[in-house]
Amino acid sequence: MNVPRTQASEPGPAAAQAKRFTYPGGSKPLDGFTIKRGVGHGGFGEVYYATSDAGKEVALKLIRRSLEVELRGIKQCLNLKHQNLLGVFDIKEDDRGDHWVIMEYVAGDCLDEVIARHPDGMPAHEALAWLSGIAAGVGYLHDHGIVHRDLKPGNIFSEEGHVKIGDYGLSKFVSCSRRSGHTESVGTVHYMAPEVANGRYGKEIDVYAMGIVLYEMLTGRLPFEGESVGEVLMKHLTAKPDVSMLEEPFRGVVARALEKDPAKRFSSVEEMLASLPIDRSSGVLPHARVTQAADGANGSNGAAHTWQAAACAAEVRPTADDEPILRELRKALQSVREWCRDSSPGVHVAKVALVALVVVMTASYWLPLAVPALFFYAVYRIIRAIVYPGGSPACPRSTGAAPVAPRDVTRGGVASNGASREEARGRRHYRQPRPYEPPTPALIVKSGRERVADLLGSMLLAAVVSIVMTLAIAAATPALGWQVAPEVFAYILLASIAGSWFVLVPSKFWEGTRGDSLLRRLVMMAMGVTLGVFAWGAMQWLAVDPQDLDRFPEDHYALFRHARGAGQWPLSICLVAFGTLMLIVRWWLQADPLRRLRVSLWPTAYSMIAATLVAMVWHAHGWALVAVAGIMSLSIQVASPWLDPRPRQPKLKA
Amino acid sequence: MCQLDRFMLWVDAVGGYWVCLNNEILLGQPIDRAGVDVPILGDLSHAHARVRRDGEGYLIEAIREVRIDGRKVAGASPLIDGSLVQLGPNVKLRFRRPHPLSATARLDFASSHRTQPSADAVILMADTCILGPKPTSHVVCRKWPGEVVLYRHDDKLFCRGPGVLEIDGRQYAQKGPISRDSRISGEHFAICLEKV
Repeated sequence: MNVPRTQASEPGPAAAQAKRFTYPGGSKPLDGFTIKRGVGHGGFGEVYYATSDAGKEVALKLIRRSLEVELRGIKQCLNLKHQNLLGVFDIKEDDRGDHWVIMEYVAGDCLDEVIARHPDGMPAHEALAWLSGIAAGVGYLHDHGIVHRDLKPGNIFSEEGHVKIGDYGLSKFVSCSRRSGHTESVGTVHYMAPEVANGRYGKEIDVYAMGIVLYEMLTGRLPFEGESVGEVLMKHLTAKPDVSMLEEPFRGVVARALEKDPAKRFSSVEEMLASLPIDRSSGVLPHARVTQAADGANGSNGAAHTWQAAACAAEVRPTADDEPILRELRKALQSVREWCRDSSPGVHVAKVALVALVVVMTASYWLPLAVPALFFYAVYRIIRAIVYPGGSPACPRSTGAAPVAPRDVTRGGVASNGASREEARGRRHYRQPRPYEPPTPALIVKSGRERVADLLGSMLLAAVVSIVMTLAIAAATPALGWQVAPEVFAYILLASIAGSWFVLVPSKFWEGTRGDSLLRRLVMMAMGVTLGVFAWGAMQWLAVDPQDLDRFPEDHYALFRHARGAGQWPLSICLVAFGTLMLIVRWWLQADPLRRLRVSLWPTAYSMIAATLVAMVWHAHGWALVAVAGIMSLSIQVASPWLDPRPRQPKLKA
Repeated sequence: MCQLDRFMLWVDAVGGYWVCLNNEILLGQPIDRAGVDVPILGDLSHAHARVRRDGEGYLIEAIREVRIDGRKVAGASPLIDGSLVQLGPNVKLRFRRPHPLSATARLDFASSHRTQPSADAVILMADTCILGPKPTSHVVCRKWPGEVVLYRHDDKLFCRGPGVLEIDGRQYAQKGPISRDSRISGEHFAICLEKV
């Protein structure tokens, strides 16, 4: 019995263009088979995964408006048998006059996906294993007088380590349909030999396509790319492929396979294979390795080994998001650290003490230079962050331990490519590459009510931490011989609590989402301005003497002393000070549940340095702003929920 | 206990997934009377191992020979993301917890074995099952522009996704209830559930 077609898919090309399948799972358009799901769209029609009534798994290819001459091409191939060719069982016609090709179903990988998993190319031995399988299948077809015509990674599969080529005999549809003016898949054009434009379909076109596939396997990208079909075709006709990144013998083989003149190419697949270091009897993929690679790609998120690999990569490769000055500085620090490292603890401690001594003794020389240098560096970083809000312009991809899909860049798969680039950006918040992607679905897992409850808890905890910290500072100041009026501490406390809340609230809404960093900074700045109003109000209410805030403990930092005169500050000075502080520090990262450590002193130190700079630039708030920033940073980190990035042993009941 | 125990999740252009909803599932050979939740066509016993979701964590109980990362399990052992589970001499499964905020896990086949009827992976669904382009999704749909989530609420299943969803011929904005044999489609996707 037949299930009627769905509304959305009345006959016509519209259904195919929308990338939807005509038949949903469970339908039985062809007697004896139940469709389970759509598999993909080819230039000729839709492919489904289906089972026969008895349970045999098959791939069903739907061919619409088929002509007798076209069917003859497939019928020729019905009885071909080769271990590297996908089996074709039969061709049947349904009640509507559509033809269905019943084929072997392959559960394994498609070469297309495998290439996408290796954005910088797969290991040569793996590429050779694929190529020898492809060559064996194509050689068999050529031996039987058949030219595949549509070789491409999307038609090549692996099952249990064996390469399987599909779609042979069907590709005539592509050419026929093109002549009759139907719009067809343009994917094929990347593998199309130049002479096809003149209607020549010799077996050299398969050699050409194999050359492109080999190039793509080894480099992860296509030799000829372009914005449009016309551009790609033009490159096939005229441009010389850039094979410089390939090593011999691959360079020579690819160059010869991609010759424009078919006569200059390898005359046969066997000749091409003979030029490569291939065990010609093989054609069997290293199955275990392929599977492992699949694991790594699918779940770059948290497997123990992947985590370690990511950590190693971080050591070997200077973190990709680094800005060059910082990278050099870090390298210098690293070399000092290397020098200090020693097998015996006594020597190690002595070396560290020596370094510390040198640093302290020379402080009076470098400190006056360091402060303005730091200031200019901060300005530079801010400008840089505004110009490149997402990350370093130099190496946008190398941050990604996750699978990036570069192929989509070239083929209009805008969505997925955009997503992966965003992911790469999202991961640069902290220096170590994180094996987790920021999880948007956090929103799904948490309901609004849970979120509000979470937030209230965090706010309460932040207030408690702020109180404790302020008390600690208040207790410490007399010990430093520094007299501060009690209302100043009250002011610091109020400003810190309000500040941490102003960070926690928007961060809670941003939790688990990626967003534009600049936009978030601006929102934070607005929060900071509000905080400034609040701080100014608190100052008036507590009758804080600005002189008390405006001072750094040691008078020789002339930079911090300035003549503002006695009396109260105008509101504007509070607005700009807090606004700038919230703008230049990416506070929400400290509340991100996926931060690397629950509490890290680096962000705190960074926030305090930023506050110092703000206080210097605006000549306002002095040490009090630094204290507020430090307290805010710690209380935000302590109070925000945190997920340990490493896979933890599940807690087991006894 | 729960009336929804398992179903096949067919995702157009992506794959077929065997989804188990129970907190405790039995792995074994595909024999009808054994009450096996995940029947695997392999050299296994009728009832070979039990996987239990215990709060946030997963535990595997060996009934017959089970190895985790090559080490033989006596009694029970915790499963962590990346664990390689070997059942009997040859059947190998990779345990995955792709999403840090969801207790749902996935068993990928690391050997050439499959469930019967055949599925690409087994999903041990806790409260949510995320289908989307990111590697943290339970079902990775590389070319999808956004995410679709199946979730459980009061022992009923729902689907949430962007825009208008068509569930069994009815239209819903963003989310709607589904059953074990629903067909769900949105602007960029179509999925189909099937009772098993």
